[in-house]
Formats: sequence, C-alpha cells, structure tokens
Amino acid sequence: MRSSKKLTNEMAELLLKISAMLMTAGANTNRILLIINKFSVLMHVDAQVFINHKAFIISLTDKHNGDKTTQVKRLPAHIINFNTLSGLSQIAVLAKKEQWSFDKIKKEVEIIDNQKPHSRWMVLIAVSFAGAGLSILFGSDYYGFLSVFIGTFLGLFIKQAFHHKGFNTYLGTFAGTFISSLSTALLLTFIPCKNPDVAIATSVLFSVPGVPLINSFTDLMDGYFITGMVRFIHGLLYVLSIAAALFIILYLFNIQRL
Amino acid sequence: MYWEIIEKAFWSGIVGFGFATIFNVPYRLLLAIFVTSMLAGIVKFGTLYFNVNIIFASLFAASLVGFISIPYSRFKHTSPFVISIPSVIGMIPGYFGYQTLLGIMHLAIGHKTNSQDIDTLLFITHNAINMFFVLASLSIGVSLPWLIFREKGLKKIKLTNENDLM
Repeated sequence: MRSSKKLTNEMAELLLKISAMLMTAGANTNRILLIINKFSVLMHVDAQVFINHKAFIISLTDKHNGDKTTQVKRLPAHIINFNTLSGLSQIAVLAKKEQWSFDKIKKEVEIIDNQKPHSRWMVLIAVSFAGAGLSILFGSDYYGFLSVFIGTFLGLFIKQAFHHKGFNTYLGTFAGTFISSLSTALLLTFIPCKNPDVAIATSVLFSVPGVPLINSFTDLMDGYFITGMVRFIHGLLYVLSIAAALFIILYLFNIQRL
Repeated sequence: MYWEIIEKAFWSGIVGFGFATIFNVPYRLLLAIFVTSMLAGIVKFGTLYFNVNIIFASLFAASLVGFISIPYSRFKHTSPFVISIPSVIGMIPGYFGYQTLLGIMHLAIGHKTNSQDIDTLLFITHNAINMFFVLASLSIGVSLPWLIFREKGLKKIKLTNENDLM
C-alpha cells in the first residue's frame, strides 16, 4: 500500500507526463489545460500548471488529506503526433465516464505512449501524393504532378533521415526542402509542364509548419501570449528554412520570371 | 468547369489525407479527414468559380471544416483540431509565399532602375498581403466555431465585470 504522499507525487508525475505528451504532440495550451483538469478532477486533486514550450511546472494539492507537491519537467523535442493527442482525449472522456482508478489511467497512458507511428513508407507515399496534389490545386498539369511527386518523395526521405540522425530540426527542414526543390527543378528541365513555377513552389510545401502557426494563433486568442509567441517564432524559423532552400534553387536555376 | 471543381476537390481530399499521415493521425480518422478536405475543396473552388476573392473563399472553406470538426470530434472522442488542421493545410497560400520570395530575390540581387524596383516592391507587397490574409482567414475559420460555442469561450466574458475590461 502506497503512502498518500507517495501517491500524490505519482499523480503529479503522471499529470506532467500527460501534459508533456500533449505539448510535444502539438496540442494547443487550452486543450492541455482541459485534459489536465479532467484527470485532476477524477483523481480528486487540485492541479495548478505553468505551461511553457520547453518545461512544465505542476503543483498538486490532494483534496482529501491536504498533501502538496510541486514538480518540474523538461520537455523532449516536439514531434507532431495527433495519435497521442486523439488517444489522450479519448481516454479522458472514457475515464470520466467509467470512473477509472489512478492505476488504470497510468496503464492506459503508457499504452498510448508506446504506440508506434505510421510506417515510414506509407507516410512517404501519402505525403508525396499530397504534395503532388497541391500542384494540381495551384494550376499545374499531370507532368508537373509527376515531378513534384518524385521531388517530395526524395525531400521527405532526406528530412526523415536527418531527423533519425538527430540533426537540428531546422537544418533537417532546410536539407529536405533543398533536395525536393532541386529534384523537381531538375526534372522540370527534362519534362516540360504547364506552370513550372507552380510545381517548384509546391514541391516544398510538405514541410510547411501548419500546426505551430495555427496553434500560435489559437493560443494568442486565448490569452496565452508567451506560448503563442514562442510557437509563432518556431513556425517562422521553419518558414525561413524553407525560404532559404528555395532561394538558393531559384538563384541556381536562374528563375527570374515575376 | 464542374469537372475541374470536382477534380480539384478530389485532390484537396488527397492532400488532407497525406498531411494527416505526416501528423500521425489514427487510422480511424483518416477517411473523415479525406471527406472534410474534399468538402472544403468543393466550397473553396466553387466560390472561386463565382469570382469570390480567394481570402473569403478560404475563410468559408476553413469555417466549414471548423463547424464539421466539432460534432464529428465529439462523436469520435477526439480533439477537433485533429480533424480540422490536416483538412485546411491544403489551402495554405503556398504560391503567394513563393511569389513573395521571388520578388524579394529580385530586389536583393537584381540591378534595376528605380521604377522597376518600385514595381517589384508592389509585387512583393501584393503577394505578401494576400498570403497573410489567407493564412489569417484559415486560422480564424478553423477556430471560429470553437471560439463561439465552447463552454469557456466568449460566453465567459461579461463586460459588466471590471476585471474583463482591464
């Protein structure tokens, strides 16, 4: 049997783990607080959280015996994973409905944490189709589609390789977009298509930072200005990496048509 | 013309599906994202066909995605953003961004006369403003229903309370 103090400490650890999983998976601040509140009500504790991009502070008070604990956790690198986000939202609802115990919640969170991502090849093919589909949406033809498909495939492959080797994420984005736009531009010199500039523009869109930018906006709307600004800067650095790669390609291939 | 809208809507669906896999969305939601992205594509390209400005077209499409994602996320026990973000990524103003960058490159490394430089500046401004407004309308469209309807949203603010006015 655990002492009540130890249990409060374990609850704080679990809540920190849940919030860290949510933050690194790409949840906005409001969603993190919402889920933490749901779990803390279920565990009969009062949770006060300080949310930051790189660290969390949580202060728990047990409502039964008044035990208090404060813990800090540094966060690992952010990797967008909506599977985690969706799984945690799902168990928050189920736990409330079925009144789960602390141990049951802990076990389910572990299961979600250990879930594997989609296979690398499936992601590569689906994203290549998405990038190529964007070229059709922006007004290119199916020759452009083919070039963008190959370019996106190679670019994402390189980006993933940089990620697996543990390189800086912005450097990985730069390398990935550089390779994708380079291969698309090279292919377009052999395969003429309608609106080739559209094809080059869409070949880099697979690494667009949609999640940080949209989360930044919603955080700002909710009044979490610091996390909102941090997310915005994070998104902006991705945009700058993409722009730098594209800039070099435009210069190398002497693409000057306004 | 209708065929073109359907073709583009189909590819919007594929784009949503592709971005959903890169964000590691669970398999049970992938079909839903394909459908919402396709509906967004129909609204966007349909309104563009009637000569609606691209900013408003994006706003309408993104709001539709936002409004669909709320009831669907309740039904599937997930966060609305898991459905709505991949669905709107296909509408990002990538080409405006590219044109802005091209203009900046011209200005940075080209040697032109003053009047040509002013034309380039106008070109950059035009594209950058469009890019910004399309991005803003996507963010607003996605969060609009959630700002209006969620329990702790705008309803919480009562302007009679002094703290709310500060």
